[in-house]
Amino acid sequence: MRSNLVVAVAALSLCGCITARVEDARETSTGIRSGESIVIMAKSYHGGNETESDYVTCVEKALAGGSKGVSVIPHQRFVDELFPWFEPRTVPADTKGLPGLMKRPGVKQAISDMGVRYIIWLDGDTERVAEGGSLSCAAGPGGGGCFGFAWWQNDADYVATVWDLVDFESAGTVTADFSGTSFLPAVVVPIPLIARTQTRACKGLASQLRNFIVQ
Amino acid sequence: MSLIALGMAGCASSLEVDMPTIPEPRVVKIPVDVAVRIPENFHNFTHTEDVLGKSEFTIYLGNSNANFFTQLFDYMFDSVVVLGPDDDPRDFQFDALIEPSIEGFEFSVPNQTQTSAYSVWIRYRMSVFDSVGNRASSWTISAYGKSQKEGITGTDSLRRAAVLAMRDAAALIVMQMDKVSKIRQLADGPLDPATMAPEEQLAETQREAEQEPASVIGIFAIGGIDDAQ
Repeated sequence: MRSNLVVAVAALSLCGCITARVEDARETSTGIRSGESIVIMAKSYHGGNETESDYVTCVEKALAGGSKGVSVIPHQRFVDELFPWFEPRTVPADTKGLPGLMKRPGVKQAISDMGVRYIIWLDGDTERVAEGGSLSCAAGPGGGGCFGFAWWQNDADYVATVWDLVDFESAGTVTADFSGTSFLPAVVVPIPLIARTQTRACKGLASQLRNFIVQ
Repeated sequence: MSLIALGMAGCASSLEVDMPTIPEPRVVKIPVDVAVRIPENFHNFTHTEDVLGKSEFTIYLGNSNANFFTQLFDYMFDSVVVLGPDDDPRDFQFDALIEPSIEGFEFSVPNQTQTSAYSVWIRYRMSVFDSVGNRASSWTISAYGKSQKEGITGTDSLRRAAVLAMRDAAALIVMQMDKVSKIRQLADGPLDPATMAPEEQLAETQREAEQEPASVIGIFAIGGIDDAQ
C-alpha cells in the first residue's frame, strides 16, 4: 500500500502543466559537415541579457546527446581560446563585426582548429510570473502535517540566433516560449506537481536548433 | 552565550576567490621591456562590507591580483620583471615601469538589487613610468562582472562575478594599454620632460578628478600604492 502511494506521488510529481511554442525563422540555408562544430553562447550581460549559465550547459548537452547529436564545443573553452575577443564586453554585436574579428592575430586559425561553423547566441531567461494560494505546516508531539494549496507559474522565453562563421551572416533564429504552472496541494502530506519549465524549454529549443542546423 | 555567538557568526559571510584563469590573449606582444611593481595589498587583498540582511560580508582575493597582473603582463610584453614593494627600480633594466593599484572594489547581492544577479565592480589604476621615473600615463579601468544566482548560498555566483570582473579588466588592459598609455614609445628611450603634454589618458572615458600634469616624478620615491584603500 505504502509503495503504491510512493509510486503515485512520484508519477503525479511529473505532471505540472506546460504550454509550449517553438518556432524558427530562417534567413539562409544551413547544414553541417563531418568535422564541423557549433558553440552555444549566452548574449552579453552588458546588453541586459540574463540567460542562466546552467541553461547554456543544458542546451549544449541536449544538442550533443543522442544518436543525432552534433559536435558542440564547450562555450568556456571557446571563450578561453579566443581571449579577449569573446568576453562579455568585447563580443561582436552583430555579424558585421566578424570579418574584422577574423583579421585579429590567431583568431581565424583558432576557430578553424576547433572546427566551429556556427555560433548560437542565447537570449532570454526563466522567470516566475505569478504565484498564489497558501500552505501552512505544523508539528507537535503527536506528529505534524501540512494543509493548503499553493501554485506558481514560470515562463521560459528564449531566442537562439545562429551565426554562420563561413559566410559571416546570420542564418536565422529559433524561439522557445514555454509556460509552466506548478501545484502543491497538501492534506497532511504535500504532493508536489512540478512543471519543469526551464528543462522543457532547453530540450524543445535544442531539438528545434538541431533540425534548423542539420536541415 | 555560545548560542548568541553562533547566531552572530551566522550573520556574517565570507568567500575566497581563487586565481582566475587568464588565458593567453590573441594579440601580438608589445615590444617593450617592462618592470611591474606589485603593491603589497595585491598579495592579500580583502574587502569587507556590510550587507543588508547580513552583518558583514568578506571577500578574500588573496594573492589573485598579484598572480593576475604578473601572468597578464607576461603575455603582453616581450620581457617582464616583477618588482616587490621594497625593490629599488634602479637595480633593474627596463623601458617602462607599470604600477597597478586597486582604487575601488564593490559588489551587490540579489537582496540589495531585487534581481537574481550578483555583481562585482573593480576599479584599477594603471600608472606607467619611463625608465628614469617620468610619469608617462595614469588611467583607470572600471571592470564589471555579473553572474546569475545559482545554488542556495550564492557564494559560487559571487565568486564567478569576481572572476568575470578580473577577466573584464584583463580584456580592457589588453585592448587599451598600448593605445591609451603609448607605452610602445618608451622602448625608444625615456620621455623628454620639455615635450611632455598634460595627462589626458582616460580609459572608460572616466576623467580623473585630479588633473595631475605629467611631470618629472621620481618613481623611486613613490610607494607601491596610489590612492588605494
